[in-house]
Amino acid sequence: MSSPALRGGGLPRTVLRLHRSALLAWAVFVAGASGWLVWLAEVTGKDPNTRDLPCVGDCDTLHLLMGYPTQLSWAGDLIGYGFVAVAGFAGGSLIGRELEYGTAQLAWTQGITPVRWLTAKLALPALAVTAGGTILVLVFRWVSASPPDPSLQFDWTWDTAFMARGPLLVAYALCALAVGVLTGLLLRRALAALGAAAGAMWLLNAVLTSYRFRLWPAVTRTGPHAFDIPDNVALVNEGGDGDSRFATYQPPSHYWPLHLTETAIVLTVAALAVLLSFRLLKHRTEPSA
Amino acid sequence: MTDTAIAASALGKRFGRRGGWALRDCTFRLPAGRVCAVVGPNGAGKSTLLALAAGLLGATEGELTVLGTTPAGARARIGYVAQDKPLYPQLTVAETLRMGADLNPGHWDAAAAERITAAGDLDPKSRVRALSGGQRTRVALALALGKRPELLLLDEPMADLDPLARHELMGVLMVQAAQHGTTIAMSSHVVAELEDSCDHLLLIGGGRVRLAGEIDDLLTAHARVAVPADTDLAPHTVVESRTTGRQLSALVRPAGPLPDDWHAATPSLEELVLAHLRNPEAPVLTPAEEAVA
Repeated sequence: MSSPALRGGGLPRTVLRLHRSALLAWAVFVAGASGWLVWLAEVTGKDPNTRDLPCVGDCDTLHLLMGYPTQLSWAGDLIGYGFVAVAGFAGGSLIGRELEYGTAQLAWTQGITPVRWLTAKLALPALAVTAGGTILVLVFRWVSASPPDPSLQFDWTWDTAFMARGPLLVAYALCALAVGVLTGLLLRRALAALGAAAGAMWLLNAVLTSYRFRLWPAVTRTGPHAFDIPDNVALVNEGGDGDSRFATYQPPSHYWPLHLTETAIVLTVAALAVLLSFRLLKHRTEPSA
Repeated sequence: MTDTAIAASALGKRFGRRGGWALRDCTFRLPAGRVCAVVGPNGAGKSTLLALAAGLLGATEGELTVLGTTPAGARARIGYVAQDKPLYPQLTVAETLRMGADLNPGHWDAAAAERITAAGDLDPKSRVRALSGGQRTRVALALALGKRPELLLLDEPMADLDPLARHELMGVLMVQAAQHGTTIAMSSHVVAELEDSCDHLLLIGGGRVRLAGEIDDLLTAHARVAVPADTDLAPHTVVESRTTGRQLSALVRPAGPLPDDWHAATPSLEELVLAHLRNPEAPVLTPAEEAVA
């Protein structure tokens, strides 16, 4: 007979056993991307041959690819859009495949209620996603805080830099998990859910990216010199002519309000997806009273 | 403890708000300790009924009581094997059984589960994806029996087994029923497959219960008769009748003693089932239900 402490551990252990390859892949991804970023900061960024773009315009492709700025934008995009893979995993492998092949029902006819099953399926990946995402954010912040050259300071409006320097990156990954779970439950097909979840998250990100700098009151300049806005700002809108010109923009000091507002929106979407997932599961498996 | 394993009253299940009814108006009672055959043509609603009893689907209307409580409340006491024997392909046989132990804390009989897989010469280290259909059935049954269920729900359990394995696994089930008093409900569209091992029948056709009761009671409640074509069969209930020349053969439910010259004989289970399936308008008979009422 198992001890009470072990009794609660069976379900998490089973979920880990089922998804150990996904967990391993995630660990390799986090370690690999972190390692790449650290390498860029410590080696590529300190080597005079690769620290900057070797040329402008007519360039030797190989040198361009080897350079710090090019590689950094790739590494940044890799971690910035990792959430699309999380959505695909959650929709396809975590939920969709289980419902398509009936293995979810196998779990539900052991001693596990569907609600506990879904809770474990959400909570354990959420832990892994939060831990891995936090590591990536910390590494990215460290790299972005020490550019090899002041001229290579990040543009804070660059999508990846905007996302990856705070909790927004983790929020997107958690939202991808929740949306993936919901699509898996809705479609009950692995491949369809994989595609739909990844597509839905890509769309959500595209919409939020295009409205990103409207989520917080912007600074407005008016008058004949309105278009002479400072460097390093995100222009929201400009117009008019002559003396009635205006320009609205977000200065770098608005980074955190903007970042946290978007984080809140993404987490709200995640919470809604979780709520709907549980309601859908209960509706399917409990009598309609 | 309750002496009723499954009791349904006016049970109905519809898929989707505008979908058709997979089951409608089902009322029956399965006493505990019986081995019950759930019989009916493909698409009759057998799988839906078993999934409802296993707590995998919620009923749209009516009541379903399993082991004295709701299907969800009885989850830990029910074993269920779905028609396509779903198992995790990436796990090994041993890992699958370990999952059974993990998901059934406190009531897992590892020895019983391992006995069933060992009897099939299954290597504990082989992956489920590499198993044959029959071997998968064996692992699925081991998983269902390892939790020592009071009620075992099996959806077409023997469909992909060769005759030898079928005979052997049926033996395992019968031993389980005899030793532990486990109630077994198993579906099939092949009546002959269940005739020898089952003592209770639930016949489902078109989403409704057509017949329910002890097989012996059901058989003795019917008679196959052969009479001249112009004979009036009233007041007996006619399930099916067929005229060949001047001869009328019929399956009837006698309302009283039959005349000697009607050549009455007890029908076989298969004749009884087929006659009811061919004639959906024949009145429903559920002796167990009437006995309770």
